[in-house]
Amino acid sequence: MLGYIWQYVYSSFLRYWLKWVVRQVSGKCELQRICAGFQPGSTRTSKTEYSLQFSKNKVLRGSLQTSRDSLEQCVDHIVQAKNVKPQKDPLFRKSLHTCLLQITGYAGLYTCVEDLRKETFSSDNMEHEDMLLKLWKLLMPTVKLESRVTKQWGDIGFQGDDPKTDFRGMGMLGLTNLVFFSEHYTEEARQVLSHANHPQLGYSYAIVGINLTEMAYSLLKSGDLKPHFYNTVTGNPELLHFHHLYCYLAYEFDKFWVASKPQSIMEFNHYREKFHSQVKISLQEPGVALTLTVSSEH
Amino acid sequence: MASLQGLLSILRKLKSTPDQEVRILLLGLDNGGKTTLLKQLASEDISHITPTQGFNIKSVQSQGFKLNVWDIGGQRKIRPYWRNYFENTDVLIYVIDSADRKRFEETGQELAELLDEEKLNGVPVLIFANKQDLLTAAPASEIAEGLNLHTIRDRVWQIQSCSALTGEGIQEGMNWVCKSVNAKKK
Repeated sequence: MLGYIWQYVYSSFLRYWLKWVVRQVSGKCELQRICAGFQPGSTRTSKTEYSLQFSKNKVLRGSLQTSRDSLEQCVDHIVQAKNVKPQKDPLFRKSLHTCLLQITGYAGLYTCVEDLRKETFSSDNMEHEDMLLKLWKLLMPTVKLESRVTKQWGDIGFQGDDPKTDFRGMGMLGLTNLVFFSEHYTEEARQVLSHANHPQLGYSYAIVGINLTEMAYSLLKSGDLKPHFYNTVTGNPELLHFHHLYCYLAYEFDKFWVASKPQSIMEFNHYREKFHSQVKISLQEPGVALTLTVSSEH
Repeated sequence: MASLQGLLSILRKLKSTPDQEVRILLLGLDNGGKTTLLKQLASEDISHITPTQGFNIKSVQSQGFKLNVWDIGGQRKIRPYWRNYFENTDVLIYVIDSADRKRFEETGQELAELLDEEKLNGVPVLIFANKQDLLTAAPASEIAEGLNLHTIRDRVWQIQSCSALTGEGIQEGMNWVCKSVNAKKK
């Protein structure tokens, strides 16, 4: 209760007074101090985002919803509104631009991801069908698929003899992630598949992959992934970066699962939650970068 | 402070007796809609559902009962694990995709095997003829006939058409579940 009152008092009054005092003393506005005081990355961009979000100035608050095309203009407006002299602080404009590109890019990425998720897999769509067959070929290069509807799909971890019903709430986002992992990290994907097909420690490769897509999606939606993207992508993040994050989760979850030595597949959700918490904890670290680093074992 | 705690403990005692716990087992083939049903019961978002690897469990309050609902994955590979969850089951809910006619035979076989299980002896069974929102869905009466439900003599049973997506029919089914638990406990 006291915490709430303090937070209210702080964010509605104290923060502004403090900022005003520091501004008078240092001659720089909060945004300038952030941009000059921190290295590019999650801390700088997150602080900028917070500052803009709680600004009393409409221009500053509105900048968070700026489209990519009007970003340059928006930065100019902020520089003007805050009365920053380029001669005195030559780096400010560029730093702020980078931060805003990351902040608005994150929202843009969510829109792209959501669109792909909402696209349901359809057997009438040749592109969808081709992707599905491509997934098979990438994972099982030596085995021929006997027909489109076959029990063989179980070998790469789909539930029944037609994968189309397994994408469900993740739609084409699930399939695209699966294909991306197999295509860009073919060795790793096959290694994970071989673990998944282990008689005792195994799990269903494809549907666990779809489940991990859901994990990545939820982390993106809740904003938990902001530090990761602010640290790893200097421009605005794109779908490709999201797919890479999925690869990290797929590879790391497999490692975690194997190391945990679960009794059976029925313990999946228990270990999934444990893994999920671990990921969330690492996302609290300012320097977080969830990138899949390929070992030199092969 | 001490008196406040005393007051709280009195209030706690005054609160009606704790809800009676009911163990409900949710089974059926993969892609039948078990998890969607579970999430509907718990009033959760149903738009991001993925296939169930393992199981999900949720507790829901309903009509003075605490329903502990166990939703077990339906893919063939994990059906052998179903039996690990039979013990102390109060009601079995079996979910059928009414539009997946190709698998009516398979779903009928699985149900018949469940009804033969010793540990599920006499356990009331509710069959949800799910996905009635789809145009191609078979009506509950047709499914009941196809599965020879009328030959079940060793327990109470009910078939209820529903759509886990829209929520239609679920309340009716759950009313039957609570009614049959009441009847059994008396």
